[in-house]
Amino acid sequence: MMAPFYEFGRLGEGTSLLIAVLLGIAFGWFLEQGGIGNARKLSGQFYFTDLSVLKLMFSAILTAMLGLFWLSWAGLLDLSRVYVPETFIVPQLVGGLVFGVGFATGGLCPGTSCVAAATGRKDGIALIAGMLAGVFVFGEAFPAIGGFADSTARGALTLPQALGLSYGTVVGVVVAVALGAFAGAEWLERRAERPARPMKVVA
Amino acid sequence: MSNVATGVPGQALGAAATSRADAATTTRLRVRREAAPYASPYLAGVGIGVVLLLAFVLMGRGLGASGAFSSVVASAVSTAAPSHAAGNAFYARYLSDGGTSPLRDWLVLEIIGVVIGGLASALLAGRVRWTTERGAAITDRRRLVNAFVGGTAMGIGAKLARGCTSGLGLTGGATLSVGSWLFIIAAFVGAYAAAPLLRRAWR
Amino acid sequence: MTTDARRRPGIERALAIAAVVGGALAVVAGSPTRATRGSVDVTELARIVEHEEDHVTAVELARWIRDDKPRLRVLDIRADSEFADFHIPGARRVPLAEIARMPLDSSATYVLYSEGGTHAAQGWFLLRARGVKNVFFLRGGLYEWLEEVMNPRVASTTPQAQRDSIRALTLWFGGKMQVVDSASATTVPSVLDGALSAPHMSDTRAAIKKIRRRAC
Repeated sequence: MMAPFYEFGRLGEGTSLLIAVLLGIAFGWFLEQGGIGNARKLSGQFYFTDLSVLKLMFSAILTAMLGLFWLSWAGLLDLSRVYVPETFIVPQLVGGLVFGVGFATGGLCPGTSCVAAATGRKDGIALIAGMLAGVFVFGEAFPAIGGFADSTARGALTLPQALGLSYGTVVGVVVAVALGAFAGAEWLERRAERPARPMKVVA
Repeated sequence: MSNVATGVPGQALGAAATSRADAATTTRLRVRREAAPYASPYLAGVGIGVVLLLAFVLMGRGLGASGAFSSVVASAVSTAAPSHAAGNAFYARYLSDGGTSPLRDWLVLEIIGVVIGGLASALLAGRVRWTTERGAAITDRRRLVNAFVGGTAMGIGAKLARGCTSGLGLTGGATLSVGSWLFIIAAFVGAYAAAPLLRRAWR
Repeated sequence: MTTDARRRPGIERALAIAAVVGGALAVVAGSPTRATRGSVDVTELARIVEHEEDHVTAVELARWIRDDKPRLRVLDIRADSEFADFHIPGARRVPLAEIARMPLDSSATYVLYSEGGTHAAQGWFLLRARGVKNVFFLRGGLYEWLEEVMNPRVASTTPQAQRDSIRALTLWFGGKMQVVDSASATTVPSVLDGALSAPHMSDTRAAIKKIRRRAC
């Protein structure tokens, strides 16, 4: 039995939509559990007081990345049928910067804003409204900037391909970087909790 | 060491004691009144990683969020001004030949699930509150404006980059997509650059 | 804010160790797929292709099946759902990935087919790279099968004996032969012709639909 099951015709359209809801429920559950459905907690990331965003995201990436690698190695998953987001170098760098500014301003990302709104946070609702407005603005502007948005396309380029390293090596490096980031995060948070050094009073 | 939510220490200990007694006598799921502490971000992250991996295994795709917003906007524009939407290459991408309702879109259903899951988790942990998360130094109104503006920026940035922290950060991160990693780095650069200017908003 | 999270150092440490092990072993493993290596004699392959010894016609395959050619393995490399809709009798569905590593029978004759023939040709190459000698593919794919075996249109000028032979073959598979004037008789269809007249959704449109739905 080979995965992805949908790609091999084992799941119907109706089932796939049901799966979407179920996966979404689990996704929302864990986002809320991790506390990043709360803008105040999430924004701590940008002031080095609460790095839950980094811990949660990297943990998720590690888990799924290792899962993909080893399931494929075991012959249970056909990695070539798994969707890899396409690379558009300049639009994604520029879009990332703009997104990041919005992220710090809003204190939530698209996914977590839905969790925030679901749990009664008015700022979550405001952010969702802003996102819809932003998408609309982009859509209306698209005829003018479409060329830019489609530029520097590199297709489904992966890090192993781009760096000329084996897939496993890149996986190992990402694990190492992530664990290093976790250690750094713990250190930063401990530092943030420590009371500030008293100022020297000169008589 | 037990971690308890914010509150007067004596009161919190009392709350912890009663909830332990409750747990001993009842095993029903209860909607809590006082907010329970969040889960470990590492564990929540691994939970999301498993959900993400399931998406890959079942559907051959990852999770996402911003795409759902696009579907909603495209559908709305198409309903209000069908010929305008059809002629716009961006909107057309989210409408199939017949102009499907957003409910048939995988991402939209996933986001509906996120709302359900987030609410369920918060209800069981006593973290549902009709409020605005903000720093004490600003007003509710200021916070809501920030959220809306931040959301708009994220809407534009996400569409330029063709994804957000869920679609590119998590899905692209796990599949080692080059553009996704570029996006995430750029997003954090943008966020950390903007954060000092917004320090007052979160204090 | 960080103090309000319930931490579980034991589990977290265990997960970190699992990550280290998983990552370190990945570096050793190198590739996420247990790749099998194949090798080809390029000159030999070029010769085979030039002499058209790499493929069979639909009619030849039909005769092999009807005459119960020993150890004939017909492989369909399309998707499960497409196979369920229609397949050549006696065919087995084998995706290309499995072709790359399935156990081989050196005495068997393999015939691969796909919708148009391109993928089957690639599967042919894979099997040759794995050392299989008795392998062919249906050059016109399923389209050729449908046009030549299931619904052949025979010119009225064809000799009676030949017409009878074709009709018998077609009937054996449950198809229907038509006699037409020579202008509209079936010729070996090009793959493009087949693609345009395919009864079900074309590859391209289906692929576009899939891609659009999976973006984030």
